[in-house]
Amino acid sequence: MGDNRLMIKVTVNDRLYELQVDPELRLVDLLRDELGLTGTKEGCGKGECGACTIIMNGKTVNSCMVLAFQADGSEILTIEGMGDGEELHPIQEAFIRQGAVQCGYCTPGMVLSAKAILDKNPNPSEEEIRKGISGNLCRCTGYQKIVDAIKDAAEVMGGGGDER
Amino acid sequence: MKGNIVGHSVPKVDAKAKVTGKALYATDLYMEDMLYMQVLRAPYAHAVIRKIDLAQALAVPGIVRIITKEDLPGLKNHGLIFKDQPALVGIGEKVRFTGDTLAIVIGESNIQVRKAIKKIKVEYDKLEVITDPLRAMEEDAVTIHTAGNIVCTHKLDKGDIVRGFMEADLIVYNEFKTQHVEHITLQPDAGLATLEEDDTICIWAATQWLHDTRVDVAQAMGLPVEKIRIIQPAIGGAFGKREDIIAQLHLAIAVREVKRPVKTIYSREESIIATSKRHPMIFRFRTGVKKDGTLTAWEATVIGDTGAYASSGPAVVHKGLYHCTGPYDCPNVRGVAYTVYTNNTYAGAMRGFGATQTAFAYESQMDIIAEKLGINPIELRLKNAYQVGSTTPNGQKLYASVGVKETIIKAVEAFERLGGVIR
Repeated sequence: MGDNRLMIKVTVNDRLYELQVDPELRLVDLLRDELGLTGTKEGCGKGECGACTIIMNGKTVNSCMVLAFQADGSEILTIEGMGDGEELHPIQEAFIRQGAVQCGYCTPGMVLSAKAILDKNPNPSEEEIRKGISGNLCRCTGYQKIVDAIKDAAEVMGGGGDER
Repeated sequence: MKGNIVGHSVPKVDAKAKVTGKALYATDLYMEDMLYMQVLRAPYAHAVIRKIDLAQALAVPGIVRIITKEDLPGLKNHGLIFKDQPALVGIGEKVRFTGDTLAIVIGESNIQVRKAIKKIKVEYDKLEVITDPLRAMEEDAVTIHTAGNIVCTHKLDKGDIVRGFMEADLIVYNEFKTQHVEHITLQPDAGLATLEEDDTICIWAATQWLHDTRVDVAQAMGLPVEKIRIIQPAIGGAFGKREDIIAQLHLAIAVREVKRPVKTIYSREESIIATSKRHPMIFRFRTGVKKDGTLTAWEATVIGDTGAYASSGPAVVHKGLYHCTGPYDCPNVRGVAYTVYTNNTYAGAMRGFGATQTAFAYESQMDIIAEKLGINPIELRLKNAYQVGSTTPNGQKLYASVGVKETIIKAVEAFERLGGVIR
């Protein structure tokens, strides 16, 4: 470690970081261990569970499957960047309102997947919602309420799309 | 009933912290001067350990300390019901499954610790590995624990089983088997421990039974209970798995030795190898029934594979037996349940605590009986379902709130409403 570090520039939640990273460092570790953004969770380390979902250049990715240097030049949104300071994003409010939060470990990834669904289609069908969150596992079996919350958020947002 | 609270939907107390990512789970705790801990697991599922060579591992840069049983000769076993599980297995002692621990490795970074673990050399003598509880119960099987492979036996006896079978027009015998199920709590097992100025050990870890864990950690280490504090962070799922001690005891041992904060996070693979499962069970049911579908006798043998350590097994397998007739009233019941050690990962509590496995068996048995009698399976269930006044196999009289018949009727209505057709 140290000798072969790479210089990267990455924008996370509208803030630009210039960082030296180990070539083997994963993006999830960069976010959590180095930037202190522990809202991004790791569940499996294999890209199966979706707990580490973030939005990178407008698309959801599993941050355990991306190396930190691969994020050079990209724009990243994590759960900490949802909402506006103390104001919650309508998706977050809908999750609370619909009881879509149980143990909460899948929640940050679910919220970001929900955002990606609604950014693409402000008025998604139930099937599109279910497909959109199919990469995010919830072990408390709260899928129905999560689907309800995303529908609720779509309605509240009035098909308005992104209002972060 | 509606009051200020009852009858209203109340937002979950920590929902806001969870939707914003601010809720802190054990995985999310960081401290100044913190060290990382991982453990070396057993190289084989059943073996006597002859030698643990730490030399190369200790030479890995950043390694602060490696602890083995030889450093803690007074360490006692732990366990929820029986104290049969060691936190560390030493020289001349046995590993009983691939999750047993041989060494606790502590270092400045997780990468260094993982590297060191790979450099520990272990010599061992293999023993017969028993993965089938039926093999474990055979006379010539090697004993996994000194007292034998049957942890405990439970019995049931209600009414007169012989008369029950004599009254039957049909006797149906079947064997059913269920498999291991892993809880997959989405949050990997993790924890952080600190040593306070007065030598109190503070442990942050997902724990379902804080007080039991506290007492068990204290007794295993020979410390007064007051010297152990368990602090509950947010828990990323538990489902019964986290009733058992997972990393808490290793963290407590580690922090006491190195006197700096110590953190651990299990990989998913490690969690699957080393932590509790739902018990696989074998059910042998012999059921007597009249032509009209009335149950007359139910004989049950239940064999539960609790793996290398008892954990909650004695209670879970016991429950599996007590629920052997499900929600169906049978006047004559006899049963026996065996909780059995194997060299599989230990099994403990998981959602339903034994009742889940049994449901698969008795509902299958009821379907088979219905088919043999040519009776509609719903009718067979309604005919035998509990009602106020029924008695369970363990002799509990049901005085109130017995909703099973109503539930069956409503389930059928819902099924038909959704387009289902009952044959």
